[in-house]
Amino acid sequence: MFWHNLKYNLMFLFKNKNLIFWTFAFPIIMATLFNLAFSDIEKNEQLNKFNIAIVDNTEYQNDEVLKTTFQKLEKDIFDIEYTNIEKAKELLEEKEIVGYLEKKENNINININKNGIEETIFKYVVDEIMIINSVSKDLINDEIASNNQINYEEIYQRVLNKINEEIKLNDTSPSNLSYTMIEYYTLIAMTCLYGGIIGMTSTNNMLANMSKKGSRVAVSPIKKSKLLLSSTIASYIVEIIGVALLFLYTIFVIGVDYGDKIFPVILIALIGSLAGLTFGIAIATLIKKNETTKVGIIISITMICSFLSGMMGITMKYIVDKNFRILNLINPTSMITDGLYSLYYYPTMERYWFNIISLLIFSTVMILVSLVELRRQKYDSI
Amino acid sequence: MTVFKYFFKVMKEYKWTIVLYTVLLVGFAGFNLQTSDNSTNFMASKPDILVIDNDNSKLSKNLESYLKENANLKELENNEEKINDALFYRDVSLIIEIPKGYSNGIINNDKKDIVIKSTGDKEAEYGKMLLERYLKISNVYEDIKNEDLIINKINKQLESSVQVTIKSKLNTTELDKMAFFYNFANYSLLAGCVFVISTVLNSFKTKEIKKRTVVSSYNYKKYNSNLFKAGTIFGIVLWLLYLLISVILLGSSMITLHGLLFAINSFVFMICATQIAFLMGNLINNKEALNSVVNIIALGSSFLCGAFVPMQFLPDSVLKIAHILPSYWFIKNNEFIKELEVINVQTLEPYITNIIIIIIFILIIQIVTNIISKKKRKFD
Repeated sequence: MFWHNLKYNLMFLFKNKNLIFWTFAFPIIMATLFNLAFSDIEKNEQLNKFNIAIVDNTEYQNDEVLKTTFQKLEKDIFDIEYTNIEKAKELLEEKEIVGYLEKKENNINININKNGIEETIFKYVVDEIMIINSVSKDLINDEIASNNQINYEEIYQRVLNKINEEIKLNDTSPSNLSYTMIEYYTLIAMTCLYGGIIGMTSTNNMLANMSKKGSRVAVSPIKKSKLLLSSTIASYIVEIIGVALLFLYTIFVIGVDYGDKIFPVILIALIGSLAGLTFGIAIATLIKKNETTKVGIIISITMICSFLSGMMGITMKYIVDKNFRILNLINPTSMITDGLYSLYYYPTMERYWFNIISLLIFSTVMILVSLVELRRQKYDSI
Repeated sequence: MTVFKYFFKVMKEYKWTIVLYTVLLVGFAGFNLQTSDNSTNFMASKPDILVIDNDNSKLSKNLESYLKENANLKELENNEEKINDALFYRDVSLIIEIPKGYSNGIINNDKKDIVIKSTGDKEAEYGKMLLERYLKISNVYEDIKNEDLIINKINKQLESSVQVTIKSKLNTTELDKMAFFYNFANYSLLAGCVFVISTVLNSFKTKEIKKRTVVSSYNYKKYNSNLFKAGTIFGIVLWLLYLLISVILLGSSMITLHGLLFAINSFVFMICATQIAFLMGNLINNKEALNSVVNIIALGSSFLCGAFVPMQFLPDSVLKIAHILPSYWFIKNNEFIKELEVINVQTLEPYITNIIIIIIFILIIQIVTNIISKKKRKFD
């Protein structure tokens, strides 16, 4: 009877098109959209070469420092157009360049359209040239004060050498810093919780007060525990297939990085799915409303949990973690997201195990709540 | 009138869906409206930096105060996990750790390297540049063996600054906010109109109601035109609601010519959204399937056309595909208005072209809807 029930539960779940859309297709569609929208966002945040113009007048031509500095920077930071003032103004107006530089009456002037990081870097470079001049002057003054013979060229060269000397910094930046990964982790977490709809649907089928099928099942001479177990296992199988499909899609089609520890990733997917399933069963047993309302409740709670764990903007997870940690400590999507994040970002496993244990506690609480509610349900009439 | 009334009666059931899309719009747009540091004077961008000073010397404190002037110095609990989280989630772009013995190292010619952790983005690179500038100047004066004197020299040199002029007279921050609001409205308008109108139309297609309508003396054309009118009125009310919200959130900047251009653009797009709704309502019979399709249409075109992620961050290939969606032309127009400095017939040419393209979409969708509806009627 167990196998019979398992088989029919599986068939029933796979034939439910709406259920299959929300738990199988929707996450994959979302992953595709995320990939299309986010694939270039991090590349654009890096410092790439940007366009500027320089008014190529005699004053600029006579300023050797300015000329050589910009010639050097042309390789890494700027794409420079040397032009006249009219053309420079036109380029700025048409937003072809970030800004233009003009040296006039011994003053250097930068003209830009708006405030921004590239404009700031443009200013930074020109400031640096002025600083070199100022430092040279200062050293020359010191030399004059100490009555030494002054070799202007030598001082200037010394300053240039010092300024151009490479600064040794001990860079210990972590390598896995791609924050868009969090979006995909929240998607996995959302899919696990959407699995609650599967758990809820199959539980509803057993509840005598929820469906005609439930009434029939209730009067049949089968042990409730057997029924419950077979339908839960069927739901779990369907859910795991959905989550596995999403994993395969994100790894092989999109190229999401889950770190290099594959077994912990599988474990968190399995336990995350269990959390989603038990959550659905708890909603099915606790809420005495029709199926549409229950689906609505599961989707709403899942969306709120996903929002708090960073699906609609990853900073949200950080803000909640920093200021209202308790919210994310009881939020199953955050536990799954954080578990995957810790596998990707941290070399140690403490944080991962903390999330795994939290998910197990969450699932146990959900199961206990459902059992208390399901125990010894009897109906004289429905 | 019966049809008209019934349309709004059924629509009431979906009021919470409309509330949801509106809350999303207000929430997201409102979240983005907080910062307002626009001015016609130059203001340097300030990267978010965390400084961990293990040296606590005069020199290290001077470095910290220099960074404080040019960056936003964040304060965080000295806990490695929290600091690493802050870096990952871009709460800070750069972490600078000044080692113990940094000051003595400079005085005694035994320099200790400063430790950094960076996100590698523009802000972090700029933060690094600021740090390097300070260290370079400090290198020039490394022969001076007096901490106070070095500090004096460094600070004097750091004062040099070039004159920067902002040429554009546009209030870019306000226009950015307006464009952000209307770009996001792409999702709310599309999802709101398509979901509500097509679902209500669907309820008119249930067998019993359809049979009753067919056998009644009610003129079929009148029936259809009433449905069309009711749907359009719903669209206009939704558009007015969002317009009102934009005036409340953005204030006086909406009561300008730029604001008017945003409003007209969104009005034309709303008409397009209602047409898509009629098409969907005619094409799909199953309510559950309709829900899935609405989600795909609204989320899909919002992601692909730049409603959530700004257009300039989207890959070219995605933008090319987006050309076939009306949302692309709507958002492109919002981006155009944002940068429009002088408003006259000549400068408005691209704006008008985009509007015409959306109108062509409306006409095509309407023709397709009519063909489908005719065929279905014959089939029934």
